[in-house]
Amino acid sequence: MNVVITPAMIAQVVISGLLSGTLYAMVALGLALIFGVMRVINIAHGPMLMLGAYVTFFLYSAFGVNPYLTLPASMAVLFVLGMLLERTLVFRVVDAPELSSLLLTFGISIALVNLAQLAFTSDLRAVEFLTGSFVIGPVAVSKPRIVAFAFAAIITAAAFLFLRNTKLGKAIRATSQSRDVAMVCGINVGRIHLITFGFAAALAAAGGTLIAVIVAIQPEMGQIWTFKSFLVIVLGGAGNYPGALVGGMLLGLIEQLASLFLTTQLSEAVAYVLLVLVLLIRPTGILGGRST
Amino acid sequence: MSPARLFQGGLVVVAAALAVYPFFGTGYGVRALLQLFMWIALAGSWNLISGLTGYVSFGHVAFFGAGAYTAAILITNAGWSWPLACAAAGVAACGLALLIGYPCLRLKGPYFAIAMLGLNEVLRALVSYFEGLTGGGSGLSLPTLQASVPIYYVMGLCAAAVTALTYVIITSRFGLRLMTIREDEVAAEAMGIDTARHKLYAFLLSAVGPGIVGGLAARDQGYIEPISVFPLATTITMIVMVLFGGKGTVWGPVLGAVILFVSQEVVWARFPYVHQLLFGAIIVAVVLLMPRGVLGILQIKYRLPRTV
Amino acid sequence: MTFKVVGVFVAGIVVLATTAVVVDAQGPIRIGASMSLTGTYAKLGKNQHEGYKLCERDLNAKGGLLGRKVEMVVYDDQSMPATAVRLYEKLITEDKVDGIMGPYSSPVTEAAANVTEKYKKVMVSPLAATTSIFRKGRKYIFMVISPAEVYLEGLVDIAAKRGLKTVAIINEDTLFSKAAAAGATDLAKKKGLQVVFTEAYPKGNTDFSALLTKVKSLNPDVIAAGTYFDDAVALTRQMKELNVNPKMFGVTVGGDLPEFYDTLKQNAEYIYGSTQWEPSLPYPGNKEFFDSYKKEFGHEPSYHSAAGYAGCMIYAEGVKRAGSLDADKVRETLLKLDMKTMFGEYKVDQDGFQVAHKMVLFQWYEGKKLTVWPDELAAAKARFPTPPWNQR
Repeated sequence: MNVVITPAMIAQVVISGLLSGTLYAMVALGLALIFGVMRVINIAHGPMLMLGAYVTFFLYSAFGVNPYLTLPASMAVLFVLGMLLERTLVFRVVDAPELSSLLLTFGISIALVNLAQLAFTSDLRAVEFLTGSFVIGPVAVSKPRIVAFAFAAIITAAAFLFLRNTKLGKAIRATSQSRDVAMVCGINVGRIHLITFGFAAALAAAGGTLIAVIVAIQPEMGQIWTFKSFLVIVLGGAGNYPGALVGGMLLGLIEQLASLFLTTQLSEAVAYVLLVLVLLIRPTGILGGRST
Repeated sequence: MSPARLFQGGLVVVAAALAVYPFFGTGYGVRALLQLFMWIALAGSWNLISGLTGYVSFGHVAFFGAGAYTAAILITNAGWSWPLACAAAGVAACGLALLIGYPCLRLKGPYFAIAMLGLNEVLRALVSYFEGLTGGGSGLSLPTLQASVPIYYVMGLCAAAVTALTYVIITSRFGLRLMTIREDEVAAEAMGIDTARHKLYAFLLSAVGPGIVGGLAARDQGYIEPISVFPLATTITMIVMVLFGGKGTVWGPVLGAVILFVSQEVVWARFPYVHQLLFGAIIVAVVLLMPRGVLGILQIKYRLPRTV
Repeated sequence: MTFKVVGVFVAGIVVLATTAVVVDAQGPIRIGASMSLTGTYAKLGKNQHEGYKLCERDLNAKGGLLGRKVEMVVYDDQSMPATAVRLYEKLITEDKVDGIMGPYSSPVTEAAANVTEKYKKVMVSPLAATTSIFRKGRKYIFMVISPAEVYLEGLVDIAAKRGLKTVAIINEDTLFSKAAAAGATDLAKKKGLQVVFTEAYPKGNTDFSALLTKVKSLNPDVIAAGTYFDDAVALTRQMKELNVNPKMFGVTVGGDLPEFYDTLKQNAEYIYGSTQWEPSLPYPGNKEFFDSYKKEFGHEPSYHSAAGYAGCMIYAEGVKRAGSLDADKVRETLLKLDMKTMFGEYKVDQDGFQVAHKMVLFQWYEGKKLTVWPDELAAAKARFPTPPWNQR
């Protein structure tokens, strides 16, 4: 087509990319934690995000709660649900071959989506709370996205501080570095698994709450986030937590720039080609190394 | 009669019954069995790479889709006859496997699984993008041709061939080497097995079946579109069938395909709204309760030979 | 043991087949269809299914068909062409239904039509809008709704009459939406508009920012979108977020559903949508249909419901006039039939391709859909042009 790409357009998509990139990073950090600590790829991560979005929707539509104030509620609900899933099902496959954990979490994912379909129907829901944008010269900054960006940045920063400075956070990092050594040091590894899973589900739920204001809510909204989170943690280096941040930003930018310069059709392909290339050339991620 | 003889006799009877079925059966029966053969071939093929070497191909439907598109394009654009086009589909899938397998089989564990998943998505996006050849999202509509019965036989042969191939491999030294890789790749390497080459061969063999079957399915359905031939759900179904029947065995994929397909067709079709939920529950149950599958359990209980 | 199972299976089929023949003589007329009860199209498929159910009820209330009761046999095709193929084969060869109705959506119909043609069964397809399905020399398939290609005709027509110059056309990359976009492109060129941008996006896409940034840079007068539903909602929201302000914005499918307004609230104002049918249109029996549907199912019908109902009624009319269920006789009747239903006019050409039914264009106006095109059916004039987002 005869589209002339101007610097203003690039600025526009870069802003969009960074805004969504922060959300990707926050959600993917959950997946990275589970993978790092338990060596489980949690395909049910996206559906957890979907459930978080529904918590926000119901609180908003039934009680008129400001959707951003539902963040603690949706995170708490999913924290508990995450722990429940870990305690009943997921802990059984922690040491099994990866096929078991992939399939188990896939089964959980299908079950969650279809339960949501039965319970909430597949009707589209929306939290019409904040729309529109701040127009700054040629660039428009979406209001709900900038708010989501701010919350995601705060939550992600808090998560990093928690992992770095608290005793529990250190225990989580220790377990992901070496489970055996952690055990020898007196860390209750089972309990760490439990908390990590709940914590990761809460991060997904936060993502759900924040995008509930941006996109329509429906039972199948989550799966795509599982794939995006895969991309993020591979780009950033699996098990490398700061890597999730880099990976998230990178994915946001790649998606937007590829859609701008090529087509929306191909942007998905570009992201996956990059995924395969990173796996082949630099399996430790763009940042490289394995630091926590 | 020994159990083995009994089993062989039963096999002959079933094969004969299936061979004459189209002369008595209904159109639906032919189509349903055809679909069952397809699943047996797909599950059996996945078993060749993932059941034997332990490398989990999470994007195996890519070969099915590649086969479907190859055959459909050759039939519509080049006017090939369908048997020829389906053979070409097998070759194309094999070529694709060579292209993907050579680099990707170096990846271990979950990384290989994710890479395969990604490649399937790339393929789907590319097929949608090159619409001049593939019709893009509009899909490809094949000229009308009623060939369900011939396709039924070819599909049946494919299912039989994949099963026979599995038997040959499992009873050969090649198969033993593959299983050594599954149990411990480093040890296999140390024993002097050229693991890269063996994995690649297994991968190529596992791609041919889905390629041909994909071509046949495209011809039979008469219409394909990217979302209907590259779905993750198809890969998952193959995997669950193999797991349910017993991975790394000859008859496991067949058993799994028959049980799951028949129950889906007969039982689940009556409960459309909970059908998917049940599928999810079955996956969870299989993984947790019977990771070795039906046949795996029987093997242990009755000391059946490894080559069952 | 396996042989036994096969034996039982075969015996079962034989028994089924014979009983079916015996019952057939006096039993009800059974009409079979597969439907997207689950899967991607579940939402719209459900509406069509309810249309069929209401038709079944109304036919029976008036004494059935050819003196026999009517019974719909519906299976779930999970919105997948492959499943639908198998189900139509089952309906025809095992259930031995007397008549066939079409499934939901173009891709599913495209695949299912191969089966119905094979067995020479008449299939009235109320919700297949893609022209190519009907132009392949098939003899027994009949179209009810207007083709995809003319969905956006109203939008383009108004734009041309108002002296607008440029149009951007975007679409979901699936059979129907692509055809709608291609049709819009042709119509726009014919009416002297300049098509400045076309791009397809994959099904399930939720992020349109880069796409809309490109569109915005060209500042087109009109944005025409070939959509289903989710994407129509997402596009609207993101147009507001990116402050994209065309003088007209119209969508194909999705904009007509009440949920569209419920989801977007006042942001849906001014948006144009095309539809095959509206409750407010002055077609015979339309009001009665609307009322009884709402009473029966507890929600308002969409055009999918209405098309399902009308399609079933058209088939029944064909059978009635032919005086028989014989496919060739019904086919002859349906080819000649010219009928005014609550859905509008039905008349097909020699391919079974719809030529009489009218598309309408509506605009969201204070929470209601007002028909603004074509002139003879319009309830109001379009509120033109659409003001920028900050002035709505």
